[in-house]
Amino acid sequence: MQKAPSTLLAAITLLVLPVAVYIALYLLPLISIGGLSVDNGALSTRFPALSAHFSDSAEVDDPAAAALLSDLQAMAKKDRAEVGRMFNQELGGMRSLIIDTGNEADEIVPTVAGLTAFDPRWGDPAIWDVVRRNVEPITWRHFQKATGVKPGADGGYSIAPGDDIYLRILLRTFVIGLQVTLLTLLIGYPLAYAVATGSSRVQAIVLMAVLLSFWTSILVRTTAWVVLLQTNGLLNGFLIWLNLITEPLQLIFNRFGTVVAMTHVLLPFAILPMINVMRTIPPAQAQASRSLGAGPIETFLRVYFPQSLRGVAVGGGTVFILALGFYVTPALTGGPGDQMLSYYIADFVRKGLNWGMASVLSLLLLVCVVGLLVTGALLRRAFGWNKAAKPEAEAA
Amino acid sequence: MVRHLKLAAVSAVALFAAQAAGARDLVIAGWGGNYQDAQRDAYFQPFATEKGIKFTETTYLGGLAEVKTMADTGDVTWDLVIVEGADLQVGCDEGLFEEIDWDAVPLKDQLVKDAIQPCGVGNVVIGTGLAYNKDTIGEAPANLGDFFNTEKWPGKRAMRTGPKFNLELALMADGVKPEEIYTVMNTPEGIDRAFAKLDTIKKDLQFWDAGAQPVEWLAANNVVMTFSYNARITAAKREGKPLEFLWVNPIYSIDAWAIPANSPNKELAFEFLNYANDAARQAEFSKKMPYGPTNIETPALMSPEDAAELPAGKNIETGLFFSDAFWIDHNDAISERWNNWVTQ
Repeated sequence: MQKAPSTLLAAITLLVLPVAVYIALYLLPLISIGGLSVDNGALSTRFPALSAHFSDSAEVDDPAAAALLSDLQAMAKKDRAEVGRMFNQELGGMRSLIIDTGNEADEIVPTVAGLTAFDPRWGDPAIWDVVRRNVEPITWRHFQKATGVKPGADGGYSIAPGDDIYLRILLRTFVIGLQVTLLTLLIGYPLAYAVATGSSRVQAIVLMAVLLSFWTSILVRTTAWVVLLQTNGLLNGFLIWLNLITEPLQLIFNRFGTVVAMTHVLLPFAILPMINVMRTIPPAQAQASRSLGAGPIETFLRVYFPQSLRGVAVGGGTVFILALGFYVTPALTGGPGDQMLSYYIADFVRKGLNWGMASVLSLLLLVCVVGLLVTGALLRRAFGWNKAAKPEAEAA
Repeated sequence: MVRHLKLAAVSAVALFAAQAAGARDLVIAGWGGNYQDAQRDAYFQPFATEKGIKFTETTYLGGLAEVKTMADTGDVTWDLVIVEGADLQVGCDEGLFEEIDWDAVPLKDQLVKDAIQPCGVGNVVIGTGLAYNKDTIGEAPANLGDFFNTEKWPGKRAMRTGPKFNLELALMADGVKPEEIYTVMNTPEGIDRAFAKLDTIKKDLQFWDAGAQPVEWLAANNVVMTFSYNARITAAKREGKPLEFLWVNPIYSIDAWAIPANSPNKELAFEFLNYANDAARQAEFSKKMPYGPTNIETPALMSPEDAAELPAGKNIETGLFFSDAFWIDHNDAISERWNNWVTQ
């Protein structure tokens, strides 16, 4: 008897543990991505003297030059290279400037004039601006670059035309996501309806087709679409054989190819939740509606469709959110104007070694998705959409 | 119950420990496709047989992300990787690659001087230029300018993603002499000029990531012309595909073998570097994959027909030697402009 509470406690702990681990595993990377997006430790810790100098005054004077040189002298050679590479992300040519200056730091007179005599670029205020901005422990440069918002000289903020490139790509990502979601729902709804209400043979055939493609790797399905849609592909060959066209159509490396392939890849994610919801709708309701005098269309629109909307919402939401993170399919079937945000995130990690920018872009996407979900939830509450099916059901 | 859990925990720990402690195979990262196939036949397999070791291959797509992660986490999972010159130098400066002790390299005197790098051994000379499908193109293009002639050759054109190589090729197509390319590119007007030239075919452009892609696209007629690596085209030609590489104003660059810093197999990897310097091995590789050798004695071991396919001799008389130094300094700024240009 006495042991019972402690056993219970142990059992609860054991049960809660996986959830805690799961949440931690989910949250930790998020926190580290958030940190990476503003962390400037790699630069600030390597410029202690210069950082101290600039916290007192923003002046580029001889003490600043001396601080810069002493910091460069104190750095290991490979640290100078890394620091230079990071500066180079802001202003081309700074990598070689930092490395050269660091290598010769012992010989340079520690004044602004001495630095300028070594390399005239040190007389350029733009170089010093980059250095001053980047010796602080926290940096907003990745956020500024990702949003295009730049602090102006007068303290205000502005977006220069053309600098909003990642916002445009974000918008494109959402547009493609919406196009794919709409298509999967339009194609998926009748299929799900067939599975939920059709004869057992129809059910088996449709479900098998959906599951087979669900179990096939994304890469394989995407490549299959390349084969189907390319210039001498099956579809163009078929259309030419039918004499519908004389020249092959450009069906791939554009938005059409991207949306078609993504729709196919994501279709099961729309269909399966819809099937689940549709199966819970009792067929007796439709019969009741018909017996009360409603036609088949009215019965569908007023009795069946409102109740299936929950499945549409779940399927559509899943497809939309999955589509936002797509990378391989647009890369293989899209053109330069169809690449989504993930493509640029990968590009920054892989080619640029710029994890700050990659983190900011990931956060941008995450914030937008969370924002959308919250807005959706608020709207639902405000308009009582989650009860939408109820009055209809009562009417039936 | 508790005893079972303990047992499971202990055996799990033991399993992981055994995996960590056991020496792993030599892990080699290459560029995939027929390039890596030829390396396997000419280098990996005979080296492994000779040493009585096992090796594992993996694919590398450029950049330093993987190597940087290995250095930061201390979990070095690659022993050898074949990198482009710019990545080699940046990685070397930042301590991501092992430094080469050149005094211990027996064949040093046989190598071309650009192959001798502080952290890498140049192994493969790569030509980049215009390629086309001769069965479907009609009249064959004669120079880089024809790549930009969409009236005579309508249709999609492919190039490598990102600004590297493409700006140089665009400027040469615009009439800049190879020897003046980097002088021009060092000025903002030069970069503007390159982008202006690319603008003329922008709506027809398609970009590739992996060297195998343009070959497939050409063969399948998805693009009418492409910038591509020379040997990928020649290798496809030997497989019976009707592809041609144009040896007018090609760019040539050197890929080098490098050892990620603190690789547990670095002695073995170093032996591999020496093995790959051997003229006979390089001839074997260049026969299968007609990239150029870095050992000056290699061409003498090859038939004249095979040697004629290499980015060497008269093939690169109008060529441009790719500047790693230029791109190390300017890649960030120009890539940003490139991304902006592509999305506009």
